Amino acid sequence: MDSLTALLEGFTTALQPQYLLTALFGVFIGTAVGVLPGIGPAMTVALLLPLTYTLDPTGALILFAGIYYGGMYGGSTTSILLNTPGESASIVTALEGNRMAKAGRGAAALATAAIGSFVAGTVATVLLTFLAPGIARLAVQLGPADYFALIVVAFLTVGALLGSSVPRGLVSLGLGLVLGLVGTEVLSGQQRYTFGIPSLADGIDVVLIAVGLFAVGETLYVASRLRHGSVRVIPVDRGWRSWMTRDDLRRSWKPWLRGTAIGFPIGTIPAGGADVATFLSYAAERRLAKGEARAEFGRGAIEGVAGPESANNAAAAGVLVPLLTLGLPTTATAAIIISAFQSYGIRPGPLLFENQSGLVWALIASLYIGNVLLIVLNLPLVGIWVKVLRIPRPYLYGGILAFAGLGAYALHFNVVDTLTLMAVGLVGFLMRRYGYPVAPMVVGGILGPMAEEQLRKSMAISQGDLLYLVHSPFAIVAYGTLAVIVVAGVWLKRRRARLESSPVLVPTGATAVVDAPVASGASGADRAGDRAETRE
Amino acid sequence: MTSPTPTPFGADAPEGALPPSRPVRAIGEYVFAGVALLVGVGTIAGAGAIRVPPGSASVLGPRAFPYAVGVLLVLAAAAVLVGLLRGRRGRPDDGEDVDPDAPTDWVTVALLVAVFLSQLLLIDLAGWPVAVAVVFGGGAIILGAKRRWAALAIGLALGLVTQFVFGTWLGLSLPAGPALNWIPIFHG
Repeated sequence: MDSLTALLEGFTTALQPQYLLTALFGVFIGTAVGVLPGIGPAMTVALLLPLTYTLDPTGALILFAGIYYGGMYGGSTTSILLNTPGESASIVTALEGNRMAKAGRGAAALATAAIGSFVAGTVATVLLTFLAPGIARLAVQLGPADYFALIVVAFLTVGALLGSSVPRGLVSLGLGLVLGLVGTEVLSGQQRYTFGIPSLADGIDVVLIAVGLFAVGETLYVASRLRHGSVRVIPVDRGWRSWMTRDDLRRSWKPWLRGTAIGFPIGTIPAGGADVATFLSYAAERRLAKGEARAEFGRGAIEGVAGPESANNAAAAGVLVPLLTLGLPTTATAAIIISAFQSYGIRPGPLLFENQSGLVWALIASLYIGNVLLIVLNLPLVGIWVKVLRIPRPYLYGGILAFAGLGAYALHFNVVDTLTLMAVGLVGFLMRRYGYPVAPMVVGGILGPMAEEQLRKSMAISQGDLLYLVHSPFAIVAYGTLAVIVVAGVWLKRRRARLESSPVLVPTGATAVVDAPVASGASGADRAGDRAETRE
Repeated sequence: MTSPTPTPFGADAPEGALPPSRPVRAIGEYVFAGVALLVGVGTIAGAGAIRVPPGSASVLGPRAFPYAVGVLLVLAAAAVLVGLLRGRRGRPDDGEDVDPDAPTDWVTVALLVAVFLSQLLLIDLAGWPVAVAVVFGGGAIILGAKRRWAALAIGLALGLVTQFVFGTWLGLSLPAGPALNWIPIFHG
């Protein structure tokens, strides 16, 4: 009941006209940018960060909530309507959704994705509402050793599970940790790795790491191998009232709920975020499908869109649970959100619900509002999103570079940040090219300093006894879970590689990558090497 | 280390469209992993140089965590190098706009970096709108925009709009530059 009252108070804040407009704007701009090909949720949030620099904290967080949900949603439109494989979180949606669109059922695919996102987002936000305060109360009792255990879990799961190989993920994590070391160390006031450069004394802002890796690095990488020629967007029938038939609905509602049930728990634990959840949901739907639907998998089964898309959005809400209650970002997007919190002097964590209760509940209320706005906006506006998809690529990437420059310069109004941004961007370009995941680097950059703080607090308490790190039952459970997650994750990756390489009925542009091991192409050879690697 | 080791998986068997670029990429992979290893070594070496204030009360000084980070990076990079020797290659990212068969176009990358870094001078000397026009227009032209004047014009428009929205309306102190400073809405 306690949280209900608080939630109602949150709604009274979030429903004020100026905040409602903020949420509407956030959802709209988040979707518009998220629809842009090549821009995932993390880049959407990173690029739009300057928008929040001058708002008050409540407005900024509400804007962020809208951008976050909108960016998540926008990706599914891209992967359904664009003729090429999309961002990782919604790539399984692309498998079925893209083929539905090709078969002239793009409208149904978009509708089931939109309604599934709404259902999953709302259910997951309800779960967040009731779980988060309890978790925060428990979390207050955690000591520094427990926090250190949680951060180590986040490090290793993000580092080991994202991307194609464990060592590459750990290199990415390590590079992020090194960047996190740069600057003045808090406890002793010593400068570390600043090379005497004054502007490095404040450290390297996580925004620079995120925008550099995602926006600049991605642009350079795409530019190096740009697909030339006209953009192929699959046409969608007008008349959104008749988008879903009764039969579509009958086949969709169970996958929506199952996707939510799979996505939310996976989002809450540090296990690689939405990527894992969408894949698990896809595998589950494929296995559960019977008769006609089973034959449709691989040729555009609506279950294969409804389930993964719901799982994706439920996981996005689930990620907010550790973020708000423990202050732990478990995805790159969450790492950027946490840096936005920090720029307002707000420290997410167990005390957030006590100290900043009004702010937190306004944020949670705006999640509900954002979900409603998304479904109201997105189905009728699909014509606009299609136009956005058609933006000529030279202008699109020129624009991304310009906004990345704005994000860097607006941090301190100093061009040194612009230079740092380009340096990080070049690293991001090389990482993409050589198959290193970039998300662990962002997470390492933000969690590294937190890990050191907790470790040093623990050591101060225990007078240097390392056993103190495993003295509490909580820490022991955390390290035990870590082992389970890593083993399960590696197993899952093998399964995924097998599923992706199993023959698919209709080879299309979108499935060319998945089918590649069969064909003899450059990416096929790479994919074969990748699978060999996960098998070690 | 200049030629890729043949692999049992056929991971880099020269098949398909671009056999010439395959060995080149292998060199790049070794270099990247090698540099990561060196960064790790540098982190360990640099940790020793961090000054520990005398009489510091904390048990764990400012050096311990950097040592750990350096060791992690060295071990991970070494594991990648060993994997490379055994033929475990990285898989380049997919993307909607990435042509999987295209070889890497380093000239385009270098030109984009140069255009972006023009901001280092242009923001302060010529002002934000001009800097955006150069980055957007230059970037679009490098990436193959068909009408060059349109790319520059859109860039300038984008620069003016962002100057107005972020500078005037949201209050970020973006320098308008000598060409615009006399216009009241852009000033200050």
